[in-house]
Amino acid sequence: MRVELTVNGEPQVADDVWEGESLLYVLRERLGLPGAKNACEQGECGSCTVYLDGTVVCACLVAAGQAEGAEVVTVEGLADGDALDPVQRAFLDAGAVQCGFCTPGLVVAVHDLLARTPDPAEADVREALAGNLCRCTGYEHILAAVRLAAERGGEGRS
Amino acid sequence: MRPFTFVRAIDADQAVAGYAREPEWAMYLGGGTNLVDLMRLGVAEPGLLIDVTRLPYDRVEEAPGGGLRIGAAVRNSDLAADPAVRRDYPVLAAALLAGASGQLRNQATVGGNLLQRTRCGYFQDVTKPCNKRRSGSGCPAVEGDHRNLAILGHSEHCVATHPSDMAVALTALGATVHVRGRAGERIVPMPGLHRLPGDEPDRDTVLDPGDLITAVELPPLELAARSRYRKVRERASFAFALVSVAAALDAEDGAVRDCRIALGGVAHVPWRAEAAEEELRGGPATDDAFRAAADAELAAARPLRDNGYKVPLARELIVRTLAELRDGTGADASGGTP
Amino acid sequence: MTTPRVGERTGRIGDSTARPDGTPKVTGAFAFSSDLYLTGMLWGVTVRAPHPRAEIHGVDVGPALAVRGVAAALTAEDVPGRAVYGLDVPDQPVLARDTVRYQGEPVALVAADHPETARRAAAEVAVDYTVLEPLTDPRRALDDGSPQLHPGGNLVRHVPIRRGDPQPTAEVVVTGEYTVGMQDQAFLGPESGLAVPAADGGVDLYIATQWLHVDRDQVAAALGLAPELVRLHLSGVGGAFGAREDLSMQIHACLLALRTGRPVKMVYSREESFFGHVHRHPAILRYEHGATREGRLVYVKAEILLDGGAYASTSQAVAGNAATHAAGPYEVPNAHVDVYALYTNNPPCGAMRGFGAVQACFGYESQMDRLAAACGLDPAEIRIRNAMREGSAAITGQVLDFPAPVAELVRRVRDRPLPPQRSTDLRAMPGGVGGTTHGEDVVRGVGYGVSIKNVCFSEGFDDFATARVRLEVTGGEPVATVFTAACEVGQGLVTVQEQVVRTELGVDRVMIAPADTSVGGAGSSSASRQTYMTTGAVRAACAKVRDRLAGRDPASLGDEVIDATVEWRHRPTSPLDPVTGQGFAHVQYAFAAHRAVVDVDLGLGLVKVVELATAQDVGKAVNPLAVAGQIHGGSAQGLGLALMEEIQVRDGEIVNPSFTDYLIPTVLDMPPMSLDVLELADPNAPYGVRGVGEPPTISSTPAIVAAVRAATGRNLNRVPVRPEHITAEGLSVEAGR
Repeated sequence: MRVELTVNGEPQVADDVWEGESLLYVLRERLGLPGAKNACEQGECGSCTVYLDGTVVCACLVAAGQAEGAEVVTVEGLADGDALDPVQRAFLDAGAVQCGFCTPGLVVAVHDLLARTPDPAEADVREALAGNLCRCTGYEHILAAVRLAAERGGEGRS
Repeated sequence: MRPFTFVRAIDADQAVAGYAREPEWAMYLGGGTNLVDLMRLGVAEPGLLIDVTRLPYDRVEEAPGGGLRIGAAVRNSDLAADPAVRRDYPVLAAALLAGASGQLRNQATVGGNLLQRTRCGYFQDVTKPCNKRRSGSGCPAVEGDHRNLAILGHSEHCVATHPSDMAVALTALGATVHVRGRAGERIVPMPGLHRLPGDEPDRDTVLDPGDLITAVELPPLELAARSRYRKVRERASFAFALVSVAAALDAEDGAVRDCRIALGGVAHVPWRAEAAEEELRGGPATDDAFRAAADAELAAARPLRDNGYKVPLARELIVRTLAELRDGTGADASGGTP
Repeated sequence: MTTPRVGERTGRIGDSTARPDGTPKVTGAFAFSSDLYLTGMLWGVTVRAPHPRAEIHGVDVGPALAVRGVAAALTAEDVPGRAVYGLDVPDQPVLARDTVRYQGEPVALVAADHPETARRAAAEVAVDYTVLEPLTDPRRALDDGSPQLHPGGNLVRHVPIRRGDPQPTAEVVVTGEYTVGMQDQAFLGPESGLAVPAADGGVDLYIATQWLHVDRDQVAAALGLAPELVRLHLSGVGGAFGAREDLSMQIHACLLALRTGRPVKMVYSREESFFGHVHRHPAILRYEHGATREGRLVYVKAEILLDGGAYASTSQAVAGNAATHAAGPYEVPNAHVDVYALYTNNPPCGAMRGFGAVQACFGYESQMDRLAAACGLDPAEIRIRNAMREGSAAITGQVLDFPAPVAELVRRVRDRPLPPQRSTDLRAMPGGVGGTTHGEDVVRGVGYGVSIKNVCFSEGFDDFATARVRLEVTGGEPVATVFTAACEVGQGLVTVQEQVVRTELGVDRVMIAPADTSVGGAGSSSASRQTYMTTGAVRAACAKVRDRLAGRDPASLGDEVIDATVEWRHRPTSPLDPVTGQGFAHVQYAFAAHRAVVDVDLGLGLVKVVELATAQDVGKAVNPLAVAGQIHGGSAQGLGLALMEEIQVRDGEIVNPSFTDYLIPTVLDMPPMSLDVLELADPNAPYGVRGVGEPPTISSTPAIVAAVRAATGRNLNRVPVRPEHITAEGLSVEAGR
């Protein structure tokens, strides 16, 4: 089947999509956007987190057909050219990246969190990010990155 | 995964009619958080997948007779954030937020959540026998790995548990499920939607093939404004329940006027604790009475070799939740960032 | 498949320089091994045996080949070279031919134009099995009546250690039996790679691994090709933790690529990943500690059984580690240790962060707490009293000729202020967002754990790393390029290499070429060794470049290119004496101490780790931010083993092969972690560095369990601790009062 959707602001068409493919597969294997990751493909790790019509979801569990006509934003769509999104910048500065496999999903999840709650309490951050597993960092530097991005966002607004 | 046809229904008639054309192989698809996974595992093998998320059932509104009518396609996160739910039925909001992760709650629908399949490892593994998956093939869980399975209402044919948190709250609240089938509309009460395994564990619910859940209705229930959901699991978030409790309590002057209690993680159905409710109504609202009520309910427990620990867990959780409701302590744990 | 990047960063040794791969990792541009793509490529899938022990009478791939879109289906008959592989002992079939020894063992391969087609065709492969009763209890492995799983019997290795008085006596004696469950590395990036057939008859494999050259040698042997025809290129690695030290799909993808003449990509699903790599050895440990009334250790006796599962993998070395670390970082004059690594029909076990030291540490640290109680001493005090220091002898007789600040590490964590009594946020309570308590029935406990871990390869292994450094002027600026086969697995090795070159050559622009087998071997990114080894090699190569530079300004090189390669070794170690277990087996030890503070809900058996304080000596913090990240991440994996992580195996079959059922810590499970990083240089090591990655994984587990014991009074002799371990014993306490 054919799936037409908007990804990172660009209209995209994927042809010859097999019905059993997921949005994640379509992004990675048909549209050349491997940023969203395939760590579990069961919705249990958050590494494939993308925006689907404005809310964050696990792309691995979205049937390709359900993405028809949808607006999708992936990690590849967050930076503005060479200018990183503040969340991406904060991940680098805080040392929140090790192997990096969880990073794209976490960057999108944090981007979503701070868009809704610009200055979250630590417990709220932990609760909001509990759907994103990281095996390398113990999360400490990821929490630092969220704080850093929130602070910088606050500066940006004032 | 078996090849299948994907269609997107725009109204209920179309969905139900589509199903009727392929009754052997059709399935409805909601948020996909359970079904897509089961298809990938080979547990579910639809030949026709009917996407029902675009049906006009995406609203939460006041029901005609009071109470709340929740469209079957409402996403779990939207329902948890609904002001009326948070105010009048906090147990439901808490149960929703206790389930899965933010991403999955953004995807999962109310209808789909009710029809989640069990997390029993043998059900998920198509190389193993399972009466739920293949009727008559046997239940390895009875003698095998069942640490996290049922202690109540199970049969020799199946010891699986129902995985939903939301359904436990709905069961406590006495919700009704609105179903559209080939013979028209009907209403199924909760408890009553899910069934005990008996000798037909392949049937999770009383629904017939082709039945489409269109809405869930919550009755007006004053005591629900004071209600809680409490869930025991093996990590701080994002895991299925070992035991959970949904409860509402109306107590005054040290006496219980009315209450609702349901248990999760203990049975093939979200388990309405009627024996406990009966024991409590009109009696004192003391810890001892709560314990006696829990014992009255759990007297029916028949733990398996490795899950007897769930009995004291359930007792303790019932007592705590009721005590908390009586004392007005312990606000909801979740910040509930919508 | 990534091109060298020009570093914009300027940090030197000791700076928290940013990662050169950081930007692509946060933008999604970084190419992990599962992201690779070539036009016309096929997808490979593995057919795995569903039984833990079986005979194979035939494999019919005909039905798979009949599926439209299938390009090849292969069995053991199609392996042109050596039919078996293995890191230390080549005992594992590339594809099972007539015997299945564990559930999930590869039997056949299929390649097709779409992954789903390949999966469906794989399901069509017909294998004729006779199912046999599996040997699943390692305690039965050496019994006369048990089936012999390998020609040499079921003993992989026995390591004895005999030191001092063979029949010591002591005033205070404590005994205990402990069990460690099977832990999974649970890296997030699944096993994956892309094999590309080459015009010369060879193959290029783009792969996520920890050790390119040993992969290469095993792949070449199985393919029957000369090693130079098998070229391995490191692709993006989504975590490793030991699980990529053994082969997974490497040979399989190459077999399919060479058979079809097309590129073949393989990516394991999460479920397959649980079957596709080795795990941490489950262990049964029996200990007896003898001490004076003042709590000074007199002797340690230990017997440790390690369940190696179906194939040897690194069991021999794991057993060596469990034995040599059996007494922990303590001075003890008399030791009698026996470690047995055994074959069973359980999932194969091998390398995981901590490598034998994890299991031993849970045993000896549990014993130290018992001993403290028996002597009426504080748990920290008994550790300080017996702590190893520079000049101490280990139970192998090896004298520590480097700083060993064990007592200081314990003091550091002990003397930290304790966290406040209780948070008001329910999410910080046991039970997390489940909201199961607002303080009722919650008790607090504090516990300690101290680890010792060898760094680098041991027991006489010829351990080396190769580095080539090229200095030239490009665009008017001096640029240094580093070529190694050292695997960046997330730890930050690429950053460290840049820092070394900037420090040694004073050149700001440093490029790290993609790691591959075109240079000499680097050894594995394991055993906390790669910073030690590759730093040593890169520094030595830089020294050679500097010699040739002979004092000139690098910017003045003009068209001259200076290119130097060095194969670098650490000082040699020696094998253990096979009877006494004595010998200079380890080049370096690393140490960490944890203090865990926990809240436990006695009624529900739930644990919240409130704080983890770590003190660790790292010799030299080459990149302090990365060092902290290693300690945090290691501590988290130790927390997982303490409280939730276990591959549950029943009758040889894995019950929970998913992230739904194999739980690893979420951000809500992790406490704040405070760190004390000591930098006492090891004079034998480049820049004085000491391996960092493993010690925190080892000691956080016993520290947390000790804290739970302190809070509850329960024995808790098994990890992971489950709610019922706390509540079940709780019931008997309740019944007694």
